[in-house]
Amino acid sequence: MSEQQQSSGNAGASGSGPSGSGASSSTNPPKVIPSLAKKQGDVTRLGTQKLKFVPTLPSRRAKEEVKKEEPPAPTPSTSTERGRGRGRGRGTDRGGRGRGAAPRPPPVELTASGPFAMGPALAGTSARRTAPRSNFAPIVPQGPGAAARLGAGLTQSSAPSLKREKGADAGKKEEEREEDVYSDPDEGVEIIDMENVRQMDWMAPESLRKERDVGKKDKKKSKDKVKKEEREDGRGTGATSAEAMDVDRQDTPGEEQVNMANALDLSESEDEEELEDIIDDFAQTQIPTEEANVRQERLYFFQFPQPFPVFTSPDSENAALKGHPQSEEGGAAAKSEDGSAGKKVSFADDTKPPASAAPGDKAAEAEARKVDGVVGQLEIYESGAVKLRMGNGIVMDVTAATQPSFLQHAVYVDGEHKRLCVLGEVNRRFVVTPDIETLLTSMELADNPPTFELGDGLLTMDTA
Amino acid sequence: MDGEDRLVSVIPVHFTNALEPNLHLHQYPLLTRPLEVPPSAAASGKRIRARVKPKVKRLEVHVPVDTRPEVWNAERSKELGAARVEDDKEKNQELPKVKQREGEEPRLTEVRMRSEQVPQMGVYVLGVLREGRLHLHPISETHQFRPTLTYMDMHTRKTRRTRGDDSDEDDGPPPDPDEPAPTPAPKKEKKPAVDAKEVQVAVRKTGEGSGLQFQGGLTQVRRDMLTMIHAEEDERWDDYEYCGGETAEANEAFEHVFSTSFRELECKTDITSLLKDVPGL
Repeated sequence: MSEQQQSSGNAGASGSGPSGSGASSSTNPPKVIPSLAKKQGDVTRLGTQKLKFVPTLPSRRAKEEVKKEEPPAPTPSTSTERGRGRGRGRGTDRGGRGRGAAPRPPPVELTASGPFAMGPALAGTSARRTAPRSNFAPIVPQGPGAAARLGAGLTQSSAPSLKREKGADAGKKEEEREEDVYSDPDEGVEIIDMENVRQMDWMAPESLRKERDVGKKDKKKSKDKVKKEEREDGRGTGATSAEAMDVDRQDTPGEEQVNMANALDLSESEDEEELEDIIDDFAQTQIPTEEANVRQERLYFFQFPQPFPVFTSPDSENAALKGHPQSEEGGAAAKSEDGSAGKKVSFADDTKPPASAAPGDKAAEAEARKVDGVVGQLEIYESGAVKLRMGNGIVMDVTAATQPSFLQHAVYVDGEHKRLCVLGEVNRRFVVTPDIETLLTSMELADNPPTFELGDGLLTMDTA
Repeated sequence: MDGEDRLVSVIPVHFTNALEPNLHLHQYPLLTRPLEVPPSAAASGKRIRARVKPKVKRLEVHVPVDTRPEVWNAERSKELGAARVEDDKEKNQELPKVKQREGEEPRLTEVRMRSEQVPQMGVYVLGVLREGRLHLHPISETHQFRPTLTYMDMHTRKTRRTRGDDSDEDDGPPPDPDEPAPTPAPKKEKKPAVDAKEVQVAVRKTGEGSGLQFQGGLTQVRRDMLTMIHAEEDERWDDYEYCGGETAEANEAFEHVFSTSFRELECKTDITSLLKDVPGL
C-alpha cells in the first residue's frame, strides 16, 4: 500500500515528467525517449498502467521521416474523433486505424489532412485502377530514379528492422518496435503509416483500403447512391457500407457536421463520379499524354447478355450463304449515320457459332464470319443514361458494373507466331442489359405477329 | 429516365471479330501493381515468359521474382528451387532452359502463374474508344491466373521423407481414395488406415474407362476429370513469347481490335431473342 502511494506520488510528481522530458529529449537520440517513457509515468495515481506515450521520432533520413511525422499529428486528432482515443504514439504508429489502406484518387484528394498528404506518390497511385492503365504505368516508385530509389523506402538497416516496419499486425509490431529500440540502440524508430506501406518498396505488401470511407459515404445525397458507393468500396467493405448507409441515411444531416470538411467535398465528387465516369468514358476525346508509344485508348469491358446479336456483313460472298440455315431477310435497320444501302442477305457470326453449317461452307464461313463494321450507336443522355441502339430495334442499357479490384489484361494469344500480346489493362466494366420497354414491346409484337412466324415454335414459347 | 432526357451525344459503335477466337481476358491477383518484372530483376535482364497448352487451354505466365536480399531468402529459394526442379520432372513441365543452373544449385527465380479458365457469363466484349467511336471485339476466353505452388508439395514430401515425421509441417489432406496415388510410399507410412479403406473400395469395379487404369469405384464424372487431368499432363507446353503492352507486336495486335470499315452491318437477331433464348424459359 505504501509502495503504491509512493509510486503514485512519484507518478503525480512526475506527471508532467514524461511530457516534459519527452519534449526536452526530443532532440536527444531517440533511444533515450522510449526508455524514459517506460520508466516514468507508467503508473497513474490509481496504480494502473498508464497508456504509454512512445514518442516516434525518427533518427535517420530526417527528410522523409519529418514528412511522415507531421501528417500523423493531424491523424490522431481525427482518430480521437472517431473514438479511438489512443495515445499519440499508438495512433501514429497505426495511422490512427487498425488497418492500413491504400489511397484511391478521389479519397486522396479529399482527405488531404490525413495521412494521404504524405506524399505526391500517393496521389498518383490508384488502388482501384481507375487511372488509365492501358498505358502500363507502374505504380510503386518506378520512375527514372527507380533503381536508386528501390531500396530507399526501406531503412538502411538489417532485416529484422525491416519486418518491423512492414508489420501487418500493428499491435505486435509496436511491442517489437520498443524492444528493438532497446536491443539495437542505434536503430531509430521509424514512422510508417500503414496506408503507405505499399509505397515503400516494390515488394511491400498491399495496403488495404481504409474503412473510414464508410462514414463519409453517409454524407452523400441519398438518391441511388447505394450501388455506386458499393462500387466505390469495391471490396469487402462494400457490403457493410451499403448497410451502414441504409441505416444512416436518415442521419445524414446530423453526420454532416462531423466530417464536414471531408464530407462535402467527397459528396460532390463521388456522387457524380459514377455517372461522370460513364459519360467521361464515352463522351470525351482522349487527351494525349506524354508517352508516344503508350496507347492512349482505354479498354472497356462490356458484358452482354446471351445471345449476342448476330451481325452480318451486307456484301459477303453469296455463294457460301445459300447453304447457311440462318440466312433470313433482315429487317430494315436504320442505325447510325454511316449507313450503307446494301441489305443483301448474308451471314456472319461472332460469339455464337451457327447452329448448323454445311461442312463445305466451313472454310468460307470461317472467313466470312469475320465481320467488321458499324453496328449501332451509343446514345448518352443528359441524365447520364447510356443506351446502345443496334439494328432491328435493339436497345440496350449500359450501366457501370462492379469495377474490378484486380488486374485484368486483354490479351491476344497468337498461335501462329507463338506470341502472347498484351493489349492493355481493362479497368472499367460495363453491363449491357436490354431496355425493358423495348423488350416488352417487341415481345408484344412477336406475340401478335403477322403470319410468317406461325411455323416456328417460338410463338408457342411465348405463350407458355 | 422520365421527363426530358436530352440526348447529349451519340457515339457510333463498331464491331469486329478479326482476332477471334484469340482475344482473351486474363485476370491476375494483383491489386495495385501491374504485371511486370521487378526492377531488380529487370536490371539483370529477366523477362516475363509464357507458355501455353493450347488444347487444354492452359496458360502459364512466368514472372521473375524480386531476389534482393532484403526481401528474399536465398537459402529457402535454393531448397524450393530444388523441389521445383524435381516437381517439374515429375509433371512434365520442365523449363527448356536449364543451362543457367549449371554449376550452381537451382533456385526459385520466378513465380509461375497458371491459368484457370472460367466460364463467361453472357458475352464478354472488349470496347475501345478511339476518335469518338467505340470499337467492340468479343472476348473468347477468360482466364484467371494464380501462382502455382506445386513445388511446395514436393518440398514437404522430401523433407518428410528425410525427417520421417511431420517436423513442423502438417500433413496435407488425406489422399483422394480414387486418385491413383502418385507416391504410395510416404503415404503408406502415415496412413495405413486410409490405405485400408482404399483397398476395400477398389474391389468393386476394375479397369473401366477407355483403357486407363483407374482404381475403380469411380463415377463417370470422376473418370472424366481424371481423363482431363491426364490429357493435360500429357500435352507438352508450347513456349510463347510474352509481349508486354508496349511492344511493337502488341501494338500491332491492338490495331486489329479496331474495326476498319464503316459499313453498316445488318442485325439478324431481335431483342426478343434475349428472352426467348433463356434456357428453361
